[in-house]
Amino acid sequence: MASYIIKRLLTAIPVIIGLSIIVFLIMAMIPGDPALALLGSYATPENVARINRDLGLDRSLPEQYFIWVANLVQGDFGRSYILNRPVIDEVLERLSATLILAGVSLVLCSVFGLIAGIVSAVRQFGWTDRIVTFFVLIGISMPAFWLGLIFILVFAVQLRVLPASGMYAVYGGGDLPDLLRHLIMPAVTLAIVATGVIARLTRAAMLEVLRQDFVRTARAKGLNERTVIFKHALRAALVSIIPVIGVQAGFVLGGAVYIETVFQWPGLGAMLVQAVSTRDLLLVQGGVLVAATLYVLVNLAADVAQAMLDPRLKS
Amino acid sequence: MFNLKKGVALLAVASALALAGPANAQTPPNVLIVGQIAEPASLDPHVSTAANDFRIHVNLYDGLVRNKSGTLEIEPALATDWTVSDDGLTYTFNLREGVSFHDGSPFNAEAVKFNFDRMLDEEHPYYDTGPFPLSFNFSSIEEVTVVDDMTVEFTLSQPFAPFLSNLASPTGLIVSPTAVEEYGEDYGRNPSGTGAFKFEEWESNQRVVASRNEDYWDGAPSLEAVVFRPITDANTRVAEMLSGGIDVLVETPPDNVATFEQDANFVVHEAVGPHVWYAMLNMNDGPFTDQRVRQAVNYAVNKESLVNDVLQGTAAVAAGPIPPAFNWAYNEDVDPYPYDPDMARQLLEEAGIEDGTELTFFVTEGGSGMLDPVPMGTAIQADLAAVGLDVNIETYEWNTFLSEVNPGLEGKADMAEMAWMTTDPDTLPALTLTSGAFPDEGGFNSSYYSNEEVDELVQQAREATDREERGELYKQIQQIVHDDAPWLFVANWQQNAVTTDNVQNFVVQPDFNLVLREVEKN
Amino acid sequence: MSETALPSAAAPQSGRLSSWQLLMANRLAAVGLFALSAILLIAILAPILPLPDPDITDQPNRLLPPLSPGHLLGTDHLGRDILSRLIWGTQVSILVGISATAIAALIGSLIGLSAGYVGGKADNIMMRLIDMLMAFPYILLALAIVAVLGPGLLNALYAIAVVNIPFFARNIRGVTLSIRHSEFVDAARLSGKGHLAILFTEVLPNVLPVIVITMSTTVGWMILETAGLSFLGLGAQPPTSDLGSMLGQGRAQLFTAPHVSMVPGIMIFLLVMSINLLGDGIRDVLDPRLRSGALNRPMAVTTIDRAVKPEPRKANAALLEVANLETGFRSGNRVNAAVKGVSFSLNKGECLGLIGESGSGKSVTALSLLGLVASPPGVISNGAVYLDGEDVLSQPDSQIVAQRGGRVSYVFQDPLTTLHPLFSVGDQIAEAITAHQRMDGKTARAQAVELMETVGIRDAQQRASAYPHELSGGQRQRIGIAMALANDPDVIIADEPTTALDVTVQARILELLQKLRRERGLALLLITHDFGVVAQICDRVAVMKDGEIVEQGETSDVLRAPQHAYTKRLIACVPELGVGRAFLDKVRPLFSGKGAEA
Repeated sequence: MASYIIKRLLTAIPVIIGLSIIVFLIMAMIPGDPALALLGSYATPENVARINRDLGLDRSLPEQYFIWVANLVQGDFGRSYILNRPVIDEVLERLSATLILAGVSLVLCSVFGLIAGIVSAVRQFGWTDRIVTFFVLIGISMPAFWLGLIFILVFAVQLRVLPASGMYAVYGGGDLPDLLRHLIMPAVTLAIVATGVIARLTRAAMLEVLRQDFVRTARAKGLNERTVIFKHALRAALVSIIPVIGVQAGFVLGGAVYIETVFQWPGLGAMLVQAVSTRDLLLVQGGVLVAATLYVLVNLAADVAQAMLDPRLKS
Repeated sequence: MFNLKKGVALLAVASALALAGPANAQTPPNVLIVGQIAEPASLDPHVSTAANDFRIHVNLYDGLVRNKSGTLEIEPALATDWTVSDDGLTYTFNLREGVSFHDGSPFNAEAVKFNFDRMLDEEHPYYDTGPFPLSFNFSSIEEVTVVDDMTVEFTLSQPFAPFLSNLASPTGLIVSPTAVEEYGEDYGRNPSGTGAFKFEEWESNQRVVASRNEDYWDGAPSLEAVVFRPITDANTRVAEMLSGGIDVLVETPPDNVATFEQDANFVVHEAVGPHVWYAMLNMNDGPFTDQRVRQAVNYAVNKESLVNDVLQGTAAVAAGPIPPAFNWAYNEDVDPYPYDPDMARQLLEEAGIEDGTELTFFVTEGGSGMLDPVPMGTAIQADLAAVGLDVNIETYEWNTFLSEVNPGLEGKADMAEMAWMTTDPDTLPALTLTSGAFPDEGGFNSSYYSNEEVDELVQQAREATDREERGELYKQIQQIVHDDAPWLFVANWQQNAVTTDNVQNFVVQPDFNLVLREVEKN
Repeated sequence: MSETALPSAAAPQSGRLSSWQLLMANRLAAVGLFALSAILLIAILAPILPLPDPDITDQPNRLLPPLSPGHLLGTDHLGRDILSRLIWGTQVSILVGISATAIAALIGSLIGLSAGYVGGKADNIMMRLIDMLMAFPYILLALAIVAVLGPGLLNALYAIAVVNIPFFARNIRGVTLSIRHSEFVDAARLSGKGHLAILFTEVLPNVLPVIVITMSTTVGWMILETAGLSFLGLGAQPPTSDLGSMLGQGRAQLFTAPHVSMVPGIMIFLLVMSINLLGDGIRDVLDPRLRSGALNRPMAVTTIDRAVKPEPRKANAALLEVANLETGFRSGNRVNAAVKGVSFSLNKGECLGLIGESGSGKSVTALSLLGLVASPPGVISNGAVYLDGEDVLSQPDSQIVAQRGGRVSYVFQDPLTTLHPLFSVGDQIAEAITAHQRMDGKTARAQAVELMETVGIRDAQQRASAYPHELSGGQRQRIGIAMALANDPDVIIADEPTTALDVTVQARILELLQKLRRERGLALLLITHDFGVVAQICDRVAVMKDGEIVEQGETSDVLRAPQHAYTKRLIACVPELGVGRAFLDKVRPLFSGKGAEA
């Protein structure tokens, strides 16, 4: 297992290096530069040139890239042009916020997706199945950013039961209940689409598995239906569901961009959008690097979990 | 993850008085919570460029001079008085005694020299704590001399009348040299000034907290602390205000102003700012080379409707390049172009412009002072369609927009939106309406307007030291530019802010700053 | 796996519904189709509908609420008619969504096809590139692409397409990979066809349904993503609006005039919902397994739908008696019978062989006894199964379940698929015990090991923690038998217990069954297609053909003097050592004129 993990991590390295080169190229292709973001309407060529020189942006592209890599090797992600602070500080702060949001969302969508999928499969063609299927469809058909707006309108503005935005109250907050109150709306909004996807997949996987010979064997042993479904069928279905949860983690991370914007969640996604629009190359670079690594790790974790569950994959 | 730094501990002490907990708790007494439009980039006033940051800076720092509350008139701050030499080249300031920075180091002439040298001298040991984007405001400074401990002298390379206004701008705020030396490039997160409030903590994307400076030279403020909270989404900002999460809301979306005006729990504050919103017209190629066509679009667009309906009365119709906020330089006799589509059609016909002539219009999606650029652009498009001009809008996000527009519109577009907030009536004409400011000369005259008379007047106004005299010159500029119509003049923004009704003595400053030293909260 | 193919094999072609009927039978899909058609129709008719110009602004009449005179859905922030903009915007959104899907499907499928077909290094490199795209937060990638290309609907379309290429590429690659080495591709290769020709004439047609299914299930998602980009202001250029940019622009008035953003939001939702409903319907119709009902969830007990409930038989009942059993499979509105009135009985300690070729209904008979036929579509429509004179099928479900593995237990064919792959064999045996007897895990485990020893597994203690895939075929079947023995049953129903095994192992397993039967006085119902096996251990034999028992009697009698032609053929099919080609010559005339049965 350890060697497998190491091997997987090694194959991720070229992906991440390739990604960093792509980021550099894309950022170079986008018109405009950080000096414009800093200077706004005052961006005379002279001022722009002065700032580019101060930021080291007057160097050639490969040169900039190698300087970045050389610094990175020493653990230095560089400084953000716009935020005027070390990239790593900003990225780590943002990362922790995103991890909380995406992590809770992922748990929500996994739990509810699994339950909905199982119920729906077990009661296939029954009323419960229809209702669940219908709600799942509503979930995956709803623009998440719109849903977020509706939530704010209803729960923050009309009912005033939840804070409209942010991660902590400005005053008197900072503790766990405060965080949870702020977390509910964004996490639920973010989880809804993924819940739908996981529910559908779970339903399909369960139906597939329930037809398998070993489920018939379990029945032939005289096991009650609950054991057949939750022990025998679910366990086997999880083998194919877990990698999809891994892929969903990618979508949750991606979808976080909208949700973080709508709910002012100080996460990585909102930071990256901002950094692209201000052409804050090193910040984009650092953020993408971390996001991609996170994605690789989550998928690796999913694969490892799958292997733990399925002894056939271990050997 | 739950970053409980020492600042939060302080916050906790302050909030011990407050109601703990529920979602719509009232904000604590005597602590003002300000809803900002974004996270500040830096608390180093020389590094920042955004009005959003300046709203914090002006409370942490002082400049040598400042704008008198509610006006754009200069009054003493860290300098008690000053003299200007007759040739307009030497400014001598006497500094206020007994002022120290929040870090305890004394304010003196050396500190002033350090501030300007850091920005302007590439050899300065702390030049690398930059870049200092707006330092060009002081590019006319040749030398800063320490005359004695409490006297400092600025020598300019050429007469530059806006110098004092620039000193009163946020870029002229004075930072603590000791703190810069201590923190280097991290100074922006560890600021130290002489202002009414002392920096306490900056929790990224959460809040910036500043507490009362008990030793403030102009009298300690009434507020115990100020919390600046970044909320980038306008709706969310409004929601926070409505749900009681913040006390002060800046840059209220136009459509929500009425809501707050009707609600007795809120007070809406307004002030006309030194701001111009316009669409530049490409005078180099295309139909706008003809003055009649340029005037035609000025007649064709219903600016009243733009400011009253689209902007919901948060702006006034502009008559020319000089905004009325500079009351001493504003020409009352120049009226805005009236809305007259028939006149527009007639002018277009005279100029031989056929029905359905296509125009390209660059529109930005955002940007400082751009108000609601897309709806504004769309409304202008519709008005021009009504007189037979077929306008194609191309929208760009701010950064790309600037990189398209700043090098000039030639060959790319016929019109482009633009807005400026300035501190002196000189800035806008000098940077956008003179021959010396063509894009290839390093200016922002992207519409290629060139009128020798205007060039001459701008130069004269820069050299005149008497304000009356300068005012007259700007009044002339207003009339000439209005007639030449290199732009479609649209709006002057009225800066607004909403406060809860228990906030007292709150004044919106015409320079777009948020000065809180006088504010009280019950 | 021949059993899962049974239902469809049993269903004659004529009873099958057409694709259209199937789609319409799915009420949700039908609703989706009608909703989508209505939306499409209105969007297409936009130019001729009596709508105000969507771009005419009228600032004084801005933000009128819905149902205002002249503006059914009100006006937006510039006083434009929302209904008109909505209809035109829907047109744009649909066009963009479909085009983006088509582009992503085309490029993604090409990549997937070639990567899957070529394999090796090229596959590896392409998949690494795809990984790279996937690891990039997708909205950021779209943002960056739009930033590079400049704003505009077309560029947003490209961005959405690019972002979704990996999805198609991965799906299609998977399918291609799985058929790359299938017989028909190999055959085409051997016949000298070029790679391109194979790819497009052999592989593509087989992958096409997957592409269509993937497309129909992603169009909705694509429309949502386009709306998302437009929401962020990167899509349609003013005055044109798609639904996303209408929503994005209306967001500024969320608190003052919520209808401006709610209306396009609802429209996006309806559009995507109807597409998804229809997409699911199409998927259900196109997926052959869904269509055959192979993905229906089987209930705990087969549906029992008998016209008359049989009386119990108390007096001198046999241990197991099956009377007039009829089991069929539902397809549409009719039931295709697979077992047609089968009767037989089994006495204590006796071994009855139930023999027939595949599809003859023998396995369905065996599974019907304790309601193990997958249902739906299975249904027991007549007859009774008496266990000591008591009709099992008349009992409530919970009691039927309780009989399983208790008095009557099963041994199945192919223990690799019938044992649970993720549990150790020891646990699986122990579970069979605890299902019927209260005992703690440790005792159960110890008994499981004992049972393993009983069925002749060496190192049972150690092998108990092995997983099925770690054992040999013979060992696995012994585990299956051990599981059946767990609760000392009176009857074991062994369904082709030796079919998946090679000849020597087969002999040992039969020996084991024989030995257990003698030692424990078990009755054995042995299902097989092999008269050789019957001859070896069965006291009596019943021959099944097309769901009916055509001949029944003492094994030796039937073997000596088979009455039915079918029995003769089956007996002839037992090859004898050293006969070789002569065997085929002997058998051929018996089958002349009869097509090979599946």
